[in-house]
Amino acid sequence: MIIPTLIWKEIRHRKINFALGVLAVMMAVALFISFFTAAKASNRETARLMLTLGFNLHIIPKDTNMNEFLLTGIPDKTMPGQYINKLASQKKISYNHLMATLQKKITWRGNDVILTGLAPEVSLPGRKTPPMKDPIERGNLYVGYRVATALELHESKVVKIKDKTFKVVECLSETGGVDDIRVQCHISDAQEILDLPGQISEIRAVDCLCFAPTGDPASILRKEIGPLLPEAQVFHTRTIASARAKTRQMVKKLFAVIVPFIVIACGVWIGVLAIMNVRDRQQEIGIMRALGYNSERITLLFLGKALTIGLVGALVGFLVGTGLALKFGPPIFELTAKTMIKPDMSLLLYSLIFAPVFAAVSSFIPAMIAVTYDPAVTLREE
Amino acid sequence: MICLENVVKTYRTRRGDVAALNDINLRIEKGKFVVICGASGSGKTTLLMTISAMLNPTSGTVSVEQNNLYAMSIQARAKFRAENIGFVFQMFHLVPYLNILENILLAGGTVAGNNKNAKALELIEQFGLSGRNHHKPAELSAGEKQRTAIARALLNNPKIILADEPTGNLDTDNATSVLGYLSKFHKAGGTVILATHGTEAERFADRIVNLHDGKVTNPEKF
Repeated sequence: MIIPTLIWKEIRHRKINFALGVLAVMMAVALFISFFTAAKASNRETARLMLTLGFNLHIIPKDTNMNEFLLTGIPDKTMPGQYINKLASQKKISYNHLMATLQKKITWRGNDVILTGLAPEVSLPGRKTPPMKDPIERGNLYVGYRVATALELHESKVVKIKDKTFKVVECLSETGGVDDIRVQCHISDAQEILDLPGQISEIRAVDCLCFAPTGDPASILRKEIGPLLPEAQVFHTRTIASARAKTRQMVKKLFAVIVPFIVIACGVWIGVLAIMNVRDRQQEIGIMRALGYNSERITLLFLGKALTIGLVGALVGFLVGTGLALKFGPPIFELTAKTMIKPDMSLLLYSLIFAPVFAAVSSFIPAMIAVTYDPAVTLREE
Repeated sequence: MICLENVVKTYRTRRGDVAALNDINLRIEKGKFVVICGASGSGKTTLLMTISAMLNPTSGTVSVEQNNLYAMSIQARAKFRAENIGFVFQMFHLVPYLNILENILLAGGTVAGNNKNAKALELIEQFGLSGRNHHKPAELSAGEKQRTAIARALLNNPKIILADEPTGNLDTDNATSVLGYLSKFHKAGGTVILATHGTEAERFADRIVNLHDGKVTNPEKF
């Protein structure tokens, strides 16, 4: 009789033992699957939240009057525009979405406005991502709500700032903030208006430290940027997203402690079940020994069963874990759940590989115990 | 011929060493029906297990057909056992999740050969188990279980059958029936070594070996 047939018939005979083994594997797999499936949405959601909150890294000239800067948000000094190229040429660095700006408070048609020149975003080598902000073409103007209202501007209107002609592309909706008095154009246009050729007042960026396991993002960024731009200083805006990232890191750390514990518990559970199974089957092992079945075939009986438990547990665990993520993910990750939380077949593949190995490893000692049973002892027991 | 020379088997227990077999010297000619008699704990089962190549003696040699069993590798011993020895136990030791046919075929899993299935069905008919092929051990009477066990022992056409108290759990009719099957095997040229503490098998025996405290008390005179 072939080993798979014996395994199958034994499983059918001792259904509860098999079901409990599957339950152990299923729990471990479901935990992993639900976490990893939801974690993708969580990462993406945090990243998106960071982007919606805008740039959180500001690099400004070192000799900026800080009181003035903190009061107005506009550096009173400028720095060479090629600084951005130095940052953009780095490979292993914790920021992206670099954008050079030039800002100055000016008076335009009797109104105080902030002229803001924006350069197209620059991505780092190998980290090309869609821009956070669409680039502004030269000659185009984006006007803040209060400026547009005060000057009765509308889209397509042609206006002049100093001697430079612009077409109003968009009158922005009210923000209730400084952006309402901002007039945005291409940085080269701003440099011409302000007569500051090649100069910028700030480099904005988004840090990628929301996933950093440890450390203060500001000090990490200063360490990275300081040596590259000794004539600049770095400010990092703490945001809701970074608080959220820290919370998630905490959950990750907690998970890193809980997962091994659960995996070990499930492993022990499977091991104990396998030992009980071996004890139940002492006489069966004895008779098989008497009939000439060697150690390899006896081992195969138990490891084969463990592999079956692992395969079934992986499949059920994948379904349960994915189901849990699909059920409970959307209320938690409202922005990204629809696109990010979906069955991941690569996780099924990993589960089908690792869960049987895990179950086999857990059953290895019981299998060895089975092999070492002395048939002369087990067969004489009444 | 089965030959045991100076066989000693000592079990280590917490209360000290226990000699289950104490300097056993025994020769069993091919084709004989030998009954090993003795009280519980006299060493009957240990002697059978030693002859069956399953229990390594502490000292001494056991040979079957001039093959020194315990000089063989474990694998070779398992193969030798599968090809030459059939077992019948008091507790039947049928696998609970296999039906009668599958229990009998279990013995065929270790020995090459075609038509194991046909042979198993033939044995089922011979042992009056027809129509019960697909019944599990739990659905059988004690007599049917033991007949299944004998059929399993015979599947590989062994030269020797070792029977450990085969009638211990059976009523008189079934015990007589089982002894009859063993006698039939013996008459067909097989060697039977049967351990018992009763006397019902003695009438079939060519020779009776009495065991007491691991010693043969009626050694054969050469």
